[in-house]
Parts: sequence; structure tokens; C-alpha cells
Amino acid sequence: MTVAIRARKPAQIFFATVFGVALFAAPANAQKQGGSITVGLELDIPGFDPLKVGVFDTSAETAAAAIFDTLTTLDDKGEPQPKLALSWTHSDDFKTWTFKLRPGVKFQDGTPFNAAAVKANFDRQKDPANKCRCAFYISFINDVQAPDELTLVYNLKDPSVNLPAILTLQSSNNVVQSPTAWQTKGDDYNRNPVGTGPYILKSWTAGDRMVLERNPDYWNKGHPHLDRIVLKPLPDAQSRFASLQSGEADIVWDDEADADSIQKAQTDPKLTVHSYAGSGASVYAFNTKVAPFDDVRVRQAVVMAIDRKKMSQALTNGMSRPATNPYGDGSWVKCTDDGALPNDIEKAKALIKDYGKPVDFKMIVTATPRGRTVGQILQQFWKNIGANMEIEQIDQASVVPRAFMRQFQLTPWRIVDLADPDPQMYANFHTGSPVALANYSNPELDALLEHARTTADTGKRIEDYCAVSRLINKEAIWFWTFQNTYYALSSARLKGLPKIYGGVIDVSDVWLE
Amino acid sequence: MFGFVARRLLYLVPVLVAVSLLTFLIASLLPGDLAYVILGDQATPDKVAALRHDMGLDQPIWWRYLSWLGHVLEGDFGRSFRTGQTVLQAVSERLPVSLELMFLAELGALAIGIPLAIACAVRSGSAFDRFMTGSAFSMLSMPAFLSAILLIYLFAVELRWLPATGYVPFEEDPIGNLRCFVLPALTLALGEWPVLMRVLRSDMIATLQEDYIAMARAKGLKPSRILLVHALKPSSLTLVTVTGINIGRLIGGTVIVESVFALPGIGRLLLGAIYTRDLVILQGVVLFVACGYVLMNFIVDMLYAVLDPRIRHGHA
Repeated sequence: MTVAIRARKPAQIFFATVFGVALFAAPANAQKQGGSITVGLELDIPGFDPLKVGVFDTSAETAAAAIFDTLTTLDDKGEPQPKLALSWTHSDDFKTWTFKLRPGVKFQDGTPFNAAAVKANFDRQKDPANKCRCAFYISFINDVQAPDELTLVYNLKDPSVNLPAILTLQSSNNVVQSPTAWQTKGDDYNRNPVGTGPYILKSWTAGDRMVLERNPDYWNKGHPHLDRIVLKPLPDAQSRFASLQSGEADIVWDDEADADSIQKAQTDPKLTVHSYAGSGASVYAFNTKVAPFDDVRVRQAVVMAIDRKKMSQALTNGMSRPATNPYGDGSWVKCTDDGALPNDIEKAKALIKDYGKPVDFKMIVTATPRGRTVGQILQQFWKNIGANMEIEQIDQASVVPRAFMRQFQLTPWRIVDLADPDPQMYANFHTGSPVALANYSNPELDALLEHARTTADTGKRIEDYCAVSRLINKEAIWFWTFQNTYYALSSARLKGLPKIYGGVIDVSDVWLE
Repeated sequence: MFGFVARRLLYLVPVLVAVSLLTFLIASLLPGDLAYVILGDQATPDKVAALRHDMGLDQPIWWRYLSWLGHVLEGDFGRSFRTGQTVLQAVSERLPVSLELMFLAELGALAIGIPLAIACAVRSGSAFDRFMTGSAFSMLSMPAFLSAILLIYLFAVELRWLPATGYVPFEEDPIGNLRCFVLPALTLALGEWPVLMRVLRSDMIATLQEDYIAMARAKGLKPSRILLVHALKPSSLTLVTVTGINIGRLIGGTVIVESVFALPGIGRLLLGAIYTRDLVILQGVVLFVACGYVLMNFIVDMLYAVLDPRIRHGHA
């Protein structure tokens, strides 16, 4: 796989150089108007009212990206750009952010969009009486104020140097919903969402299809391009791909677990493979308070025994990209030295020998085919160095409470693609955080994390985060197997799909050629 | 006849109570506390305790069962914690899809099974009979997800005659509606016809050896009339039973088939409820399906009485 991609690179460079001039000469507005697409998603969407559904999954976020707008949006380079907000400034301590909003925008039901509407969205989620699960993700924000029609002030509890980037994800926290709509529709609002976005919900049959039609009054003139988007849950990976091949779907969600389909699509001239090498990774946390992982030698040995290349081959025909730090290729944090431990069986064996006691432990895996395979592969690696791992399969929903209560020796976890590493890194590694799963406390690590979240200079932040990576890798309190890669497969006619940030397939501005 | 129906209906009561109890126990004893599921990655002990209290999960299980049963008897099956939809809403939205699928599948299975069974019974022991019996056996062992994918590749991806996935409501486009059910119904029918065929075949062979058939032949009746009028009805008692029981199996089959073909039916609802731990929906749907199964058996009992007068007259 990797070889194939490398082989194609020089060709791309060649074409880009030769035809680059011609490309620039082409009219800038090549987007075609009209037409309709069908999007094959993985899951049924439960609804859009944050009080009902709490958080959106990526399927709901794809729909939310079309129905709603966010204040800011990420450009191709990962920089925040204006959307409903036109500009922003911050205080010196990064605890107060002021946004100037776009004037003249209306929700699809005619309600004017203004600072009070955004504040109403926030207050509703924050209100303890509403017990919204979504409140957890805005706990770093103390309050939102609307001093005038188009000015919005965020007062943060913890500093955030990258707030505009964090607000770009089409999550239940960030999309702006019409306050009149949820007030008048009550219980029905969940399945009748109203936003300011480029598409309006026309009809929705549970479990089957959601039909979105072009918003003729969209504030961004000339957008969107399509007349209609149909979103369908297609839960079975094989029939989802078959629907794309047969032309019933124009773009479908996919992931590495379905490597066969992705590789088939790569060789099919009628299809395009959209992939995004995101930040974050599949990660695992040791409980450093429980034997044998209370000894750093054992942790290091266990990490050194992992051959990620072999594992990738076994899991996804080699498509999974090995991870040596928690940031990944999609992050702006790039380290010349991330302190990754080598894959070294002999050294690992020596460390185990040095430890002197038998190494027996249990590892939690999710009771899914993928979870079991991962468990078996790791078990084999660890057997090679004389460590005995017992697989404990538990239900996916039970992994979280077990991790929270620290009832594990080794547990799987995930760092998702976010525009800034701070929210997850701070939560996962700062002393006292509920998700600092390793039960590990180190003043040096805490200081680095605190410095990184209050420093504006990107270069200095990168230094901090690379030091964090070196420290975690050396102490081996967590380890990372594979980076996050997100996939969408589409007909070659579909153009204009942005990067799959956060795993969200955003079709709100695509067109058909 | 009235007494017979009334007696049968009375038997249903303890069965339904047992079904509701089992349903409740299965859903409650699933690993993974509902409060943790709802709270997800923010399941701090105090939040869990508060939510468990709100949802009544801190009550003893027998009390929770009785209060659930009480609500069910009032027609309140509860609400999904994920979508806010009531169980009745969710089920009634999706039931027509599953009913149509099961009806078409059963129809397909009968349409394949009955003619083949008659043909085999007439020439029992012949090469044709042996071949059909053998292929019936191999069809029976083919899992639905495999035949579904094979059918999709053949008819949707290669030939492009039929859609691979999706659903079109009947009122929107009747032809499109039938088209989207062809492959899923065929997938289910492929697993069902061998059973029907084998059952009917052996009953038919026995019937054809009865004296009255020999009598009919001697009278010079047309062979087709003997087979379809004189032999088929008395041979179909087991077929009716199996068809009835099969409907229960079909409900299981719809879970797989509806997922592969992305049909918005009860099976998908059930599967989604399991994945997302939507226990309220899960309990409601399982109870509903179980009641449907019991009711189906009741109808089969009634059909017996129609087919065989001896049962109707109290010898059962």
C-alpha cells in the first residue's frame, strides 16, 4: 500500500508542474450548480437537539454541517476562517475572546441570527437544570455574553489559545440552532432542526433517508451548489460500497476496517478515494498504580515488543499508519524527536529479565471483531518477550466506566482529531483529571501542559508538546498504535469535498461535474 | 368453535406474562449499566448515582418490572433516551417495512417450495427428487448475509437491474417499492423454501399412498386435479405449522437482511437499540416481536381447525 502511494507521488508532482500553468488559467468559478447527491453514512442519526442526543456522532455531524453553520471554519491548512463570525480578538491571558458576528443572517425559519441567539444556544446547554451531556465539553467556558447585536464575548475558565479553531467542529456544542424553533416545536424539535446553514431539512424517514434542500436565502451568495442532498444510513460496509459502485450513492463513509473496499476504489477510475490523515491516534493506557505496570521497565518492555508494521499488515492490509506520538501527521505539532521507543525484542526481553518477576496481566479489549483481533496480535507480540497477557473482552459501553474507575491494567482509548491538542492532552495527562487514566503524576509533565495551553507562540507550543511526547514515551504510561485516518469514497464526478476534519464528511459545499 | 377460540386465547395470557418477564430480565441483565451508557465519558460517580435515581435504576428489579408492566398495560411502552421517540411511534413507523418484507419473503418461499415439493413427491426417488433434496439442503446451510452480498453483486453491481440498498415508500412509488424489496425478500426466501419444500414433500408422499388417492386415480380423475385438490390440502397441515413458525424465524432474519439492504424496519430498530444500549426501545421491540410470534402461533392453531375438522370438534 505504502509503496503504491509513494510510486504515485512523482507522477503527481510531474502533472502538477506541467499542467500547473493550465490549471491556474482555468476560470476560478468552475463549480457547477444544480443536481442532487446521495450520501451513505454509517449510522442512523438520532436527532439534533443537544438536550436530547447530548453529543453528535460523525453521521449526525455530516448532516449538521449542511443544516447549520458554525462561527468559524477550518481552511485547507487547518487555520480558522470566518463563517458566522467575521473577526475575533482575545485578551492577553487568552481567557476572554470577542467575536464580531456576520450581519444580516437569518435562520431558516426567519428568526434573525445575532449574538443573543448564540448566547441562548450556549446558556441552554450550560444550564445545570437541563442536565445536558453536551455541557461537559463546554465546561472550560464560564459564560457567553452578548453586549450588543453582533458582539459575542466568551469568558473562559481555562485559557485557550486556539478557541476559534476549536469552535469549527460541527458538534452539538458548536452549531448554532434557532432559539425560536426549539421553543415553539418542543419535543418535536429534535427531528425538525432549524439552522442558518446552506440546506433545509425537507423530510426525514427514521432509519431511512433525510432529504435536505437548497436554502435559497443562504447568506453566502452562490452557495451551495447542489439542489438536494439525501442522507441515508447504510450500516453494512459491503452493501454500502456496492451502493456506491451501482451508482445509488454518490459518496459513502468508510474506514480502514474495510480496507478491501478502499483499495478496490483506488483502482477504479469512476471512483475517488478521499482520505485525511488526521491528528490523534488509537491509544492505550497503563494503570501505573497496579503491578506489573507500576514498574517502568515492564511498561517499556511491553511497548518495545510491538511491531506496528506487522500489526498494520494483519489488521488493514497495511493501510494503518503507525503512530509514535499522540499528535499524528494531521497535527501542526511536528517533532524532530518524539522520544518513541524502538521495536526491540532483545531489549524488551532484557528489561523483563531485569524486572525479575513473571509478567502476567489482563488487557481490556472491546467485544468487537476488530477489538478481538487487536488483542490477539498484541498477545502474540508480548508472548515473544515472555509476558503473558490475558484478553478481557468487554462491551464497548463498559470500557468507559471501567477506565473511569481505574478498574484495569491496560485499556484501549482514543485521541480524536481536534484542531488543537490542548483539550485532550490536558485532560489525558494532567494530574487530577478524570481521564488521566494512567494514574500518573509528574510535576514536569503538568508544567509543560500548563505552559503549552497559555502560550500563543506556535513554535514554543510545539517544543512543549514534543517534550510532553518524549516524557510520556520514556515513562511509557500510554502507548500509541495507529494514527487516525478518515475515509470517504465517492463518484469521481463529486468535487469540492474539504478535508475530513474530525472524521466529518462535510458535503455542504460540494458540486457534481 | 367459539369455545375453542376462547380457550386458546386464555392460554395466551400466561405465555404473554412469561414473555414480558423474560424480555425485561434480558434487557436488565445485559452488562453495562444504562446510566454509564447515557453519561458516556463523563460518568463520574455522583452523576451516575443521580441519574440512576432519576431513572429508577436504584429500585429493586421486581419493582422495576412491575412498574414497567403497569405502564405497558396502560399502553405506555416508554421513550427512547436517545431520540425522545416513544416505543409505539418507533415501532409503528417501521413495522410496515418489516411486514411487507416478511410477507414477500414467505410468499417467495411458498412460490418456490410448493411446486418443487409436488414435483418431487410425484417422482419420489427419481434423480430430480434426489437433486432437489440435495440442493435444498445446501441452500438451507447458506447464511443470509452471504446470499445477500452475492445477490447484490450479481443484480445490483454487475447487472444493475435492482437497487443494492435503500427503501422507497409504497405511496411514493409502488414499482420502486417492489423493486427495493426483491433482493431482500429473495435473500430470506432462499433460506426458507428448502424447509417448506422438504416438509410438504414428505407429507405429500405419504398422502399419495392413501387409499382414497388410489380410488381417485381409479375413477380416472386428471392427475393434476388429484394432486392439487385431493392431495395438497390434507398434506399441508405440517406446512402451515412450519410456515407459522418460520415467520418467527423470519423476524430474526430481518435483523440481518434489513441491515445489509438498509431497510428501515423493526430488525434495524432492534439492532440499533442493542448497539446504542437503548434499553427502552429494546425491551419494547422484543416484547412486541414476542407477542407477534405468540399471536402467529395462535393463528396457526386456528388454521388447523379450519383445515382439519377433527381438531375443531374438540379432539385436540
